[in-house]
Amino acid sequence: MAQTVPVGQKWWSGGRSPFNVEYGKLMMWYFLMSDAFTFGAFLISYGTIRFSSSSWPNPNEVFKSFPFIGEMTVPLAFVSLMTFILIMSSVTMVMAVGAGQAQDRKAVMKWMFLTILGGLAFLGCQAWEWTHLHNEGAWWGRNPFMNIDGTQSSTNFTNFFFTITGFHGFHVFSGVIINTIMLIKTWRGDFQRTGHYLMIEKAGLYWHFVDLVWVFVFTCFYLL
Amino acid sequence: MSSASPTSADFGKDKSSFDSKAVWRTFWILLCITVFELIVAIVYYETHFFPKHILNGVFVIMTLAKAFFIIAEFMHLGHEIKNLIMTIAIPACLFIWFLIAFIWDGSSFHDLRMRYDKYQYEQSKTKVKPVEHKEEGKKPGVE
Amino acid sequence: MSTDSTIHGTGEVIVSHDTHDAGPEVHHHKETFITKYVFSQDHKMICKQFLITGMIWAILGGLMSVLFRLQLGYPDSTFPWLEDILGKWAKGGKIQPEAYYALITMHGTVLVFFVLTGGLSGTFANFLIPLQIGARDMASPFLNMLSYWFFWMASVVMLTSLFIETGPASGGWTVYPPLSALGDANLGSKGGMDYWITGMALFVVSSLLGGLNYITTILNMRTKGMSMTRLPLTIWAILFTAILGVLSFPVLLSGLILLLFDRHAGTSFYLSDIFISATQKALPNEGGSPILYQHLFWFLGHPEVYIIILPAMGLVSEVMAINSRKPIFGYMAMVGSLMAITILAFLVWAHHMFVTGLNPFLGSVFVLLTLLIAVPSAIKVFNWLTTLWRGNIRFTPAMLFAIGFVSMFISGGLTGVFLGNSTLDIHLHDTMFIVAHFHIVMGVSAFLGMFCGVYHWFPKMYGRYMNNTMAYIHFWVTFAGAYLIFWPMHYEGLAGLPRRYMDYSGWSSFNQFGGLNRFISTVSMVVFAVQLMFVFNFFYSIFKGRKVISKNPWQANTLEWTTPIRPGHGNWPGEIPEVHRWAYDYGKDGKEFILQTEPLGADEQHH
Repeated sequence: MAQTVPVGQKWWSGGRSPFNVEYGKLMMWYFLMSDAFTFGAFLISYGTIRFSSSSWPNPNEVFKSFPFIGEMTVPLAFVSLMTFILIMSSVTMVMAVGAGQAQDRKAVMKWMFLTILGGLAFLGCQAWEWTHLHNEGAWWGRNPFMNIDGTQSSTNFTNFFFTITGFHGFHVFSGVIINTIMLIKTWRGDFQRTGHYLMIEKAGLYWHFVDLVWVFVFTCFYLL
Repeated sequence: MSSASPTSADFGKDKSSFDSKAVWRTFWILLCITVFELIVAIVYYETHFFPKHILNGVFVIMTLAKAFFIIAEFMHLGHEIKNLIMTIAIPACLFIWFLIAFIWDGSSFHDLRMRYDKYQYEQSKTKVKPVEHKEEGKKPGVE
Repeated sequence: MSTDSTIHGTGEVIVSHDTHDAGPEVHHHKETFITKYVFSQDHKMICKQFLITGMIWAILGGLMSVLFRLQLGYPDSTFPWLEDILGKWAKGGKIQPEAYYALITMHGTVLVFFVLTGGLSGTFANFLIPLQIGARDMASPFLNMLSYWFFWMASVVMLTSLFIETGPASGGWTVYPPLSALGDANLGSKGGMDYWITGMALFVVSSLLGGLNYITTILNMRTKGMSMTRLPLTIWAILFTAILGVLSFPVLLSGLILLLFDRHAGTSFYLSDIFISATQKALPNEGGSPILYQHLFWFLGHPEVYIIILPAMGLVSEVMAINSRKPIFGYMAMVGSLMAITILAFLVWAHHMFVTGLNPFLGSVFVLLTLLIAVPSAIKVFNWLTTLWRGNIRFTPAMLFAIGFVSMFISGGLTGVFLGNSTLDIHLHDTMFIVAHFHIVMGVSAFLGMFCGVYHWFPKMYGRYMNNTMAYIHFWVTFAGAYLIFWPMHYEGLAGLPRRYMDYSGWSSFNQFGGLNRFISTVSMVVFAVQLMFVFNFFYSIFKGRKVISKNPWQANTLEWTTPIRPGHGNWPGEIPEVHRWAYDYGKDGKEFILQTEPLGADEQHH
């Protein structure tokens, strides 16, 4: 799968990129690496606090509501929907990148539009979930949920939940903004003029990273 | 700019390797893993059929698998040059010790608290009554 | 020693590589004052912006240390003029306890982050990367400009915090909670702390933008023939510095965001079971861990000390090879040890936390990892010494500072071995011993490395030389002064003298150090005055210094000396030179130096 460097080709000798990528993409990769450490630090802090606590609330008890179905409880159903939306929007983003490589402006616009739609849907879901939890009395510094063993829980369950999903939501939000700018630029034909759709690829990397982080957030908050 | 270095345009064109079948395959893999995780989580919630910490190990492994597919396929890293993969993969290894040391000290902090902090110890043994969720803005629990 | 003959002992050599000089300036576009000096995208101008901002910060940070050394040296005296400049912070001519804490906190913050991180890597990464790898400019000149202006904004925020009603942050430069998280606990934990967090967040953005640019430029923009193993060691050092910054600063950012929530949103990430005596209030917080913050902070904090020292190591390696007229000894070993230091830097952070109640077994793992750093550090030291060995040494000011760096690095590094052992650290922790250790090994060493770089590359930056007489005075007073200041602190620390106290005279066991403290304070004032002379020399020489008349005044091999004396934006008029050899062909084949652009001779081995 991994492309190996052809024998005899001097990739490192200067005058060209040793990775065969343009500098902006490289920069995006290393930015994402850096951002991964921001998220990593948050999630590892969450783990540390959880390990220094005696017990912790049960996510199946907390996240069991679904909009428009009343009092019926369906553990984790809503968050599964959110995960599905985000994975779906990742797929449409890959499609946009593919269309960009084929220089197909119309297709890029279509897929970018769907990606933005997915991002907005995700944000909407998150807004609903936050509102719902807030109505139940949860917020930064307030935790209405008990520990799984029936003891009183510290507020750190909600503290970390809102901080980390909030930070992730902020990333989704900025991703939507970036994608919208890319859509406008595509619509104006900017990339047609420069002859390549590399900007779409870079925006795509960012968008997939948001998806990637969600995978970890999902596991840490909803499953473990 | 008459630079010896390559320009953006050099990299934008010679791409042909886009494979929409692979993308959908990745999508199905991700979806299946997620659905499987959900089923396991819900079945566990209903029946407690399995020790939770082993289950957690399963969840972590499946999460890493999902992360691998997203990075390798969606982010296209699997199709880049090996050198580039290494510059991403090697720094990512720093997370191993980052995680181990933090968690290790976190659990040590818990042990210390349980041993020397009588109040914390009693709190961890005292059950509280479930509270009504709807009362907004109130700090729940025993006063 | 005649300074002139030292530098120009071999006369002005006109290099034979001016074939590229023909042709017009590549980058000939209209430049206004604003685009040339303020929002410049030329890496050389951004370098100067970083350098001068860093110098302003260094003067401020140094002045703070003089003020609190005044207190430590003369705890019983009053200085009425202090009240004139500090107002209520020095009521009756005596520095107040709150002001003392604020001064040491800001001294640390300013020098660690704003001078030795922003000022040092900002300056030399910007200046040397494009010039030494053969690029027109950074990969993204625009982001590079943003990097400086974020640094500027961070500077403004941090500077503003000095002037607010409740004073700047004063919980130590590490801003540990709960002190930093509770506004009621301390004057400096009120508004000043928020400014500190904001300033540092902006600083992280600046360092991120800069670091990403440095890495991609070094990887992607090297000229033809400039393979990684032909890079000068400066560039290697800057590359690893940038990697450290990009991967560790975000962790600090996360830690600070959590701290901000603890301060303003009622969360308990770091807070648990707290009673504030000032307000007679028990806080509702539960379940947090103050140790978590320390882990997050030091996950940045330890790489941070390498962010400070690695660029200095790079500059010193380069200057040392040039002025010994010898190839650097063990080039690959130097690169390898830089890499080893970089990796180990991420694995050892908790050695700052041995006395926090850290799990002792975990602590012993950290001891092992920490002591491993001695190996690459020793490799570097021996390589520098062997580079000097039987060299034809030219004692230029830059070279003196380079040698001084090695001396300081050895002295400070050895005490690091003491502190890295958790058992010894229990005794030495939070004493003047640790103050002496880190000031020598990362403070003074990095400063000497920075001076070495400034003296060496000043002719390239401004087309003039700095005054040598002042430079020699600067070196000897700084070098001797630094030892006189920090060496005695080791003894104080071994005797148990704690750091961060403003007055030791109340303890009979510490009374014996009164005279020594007075001595240290006096020397520190002299050394500070000499730094002001350096600043004068710097600005004087920009306008009045002796002009450089040859392209390659130090007879060095690297690419920056193939550019015109005052290169424009784009660095090389005409084509970028191609590189045919490594940067260290000194004293080879009967030639004193061979530029990197010189093609290999028929009988020469490929490097």
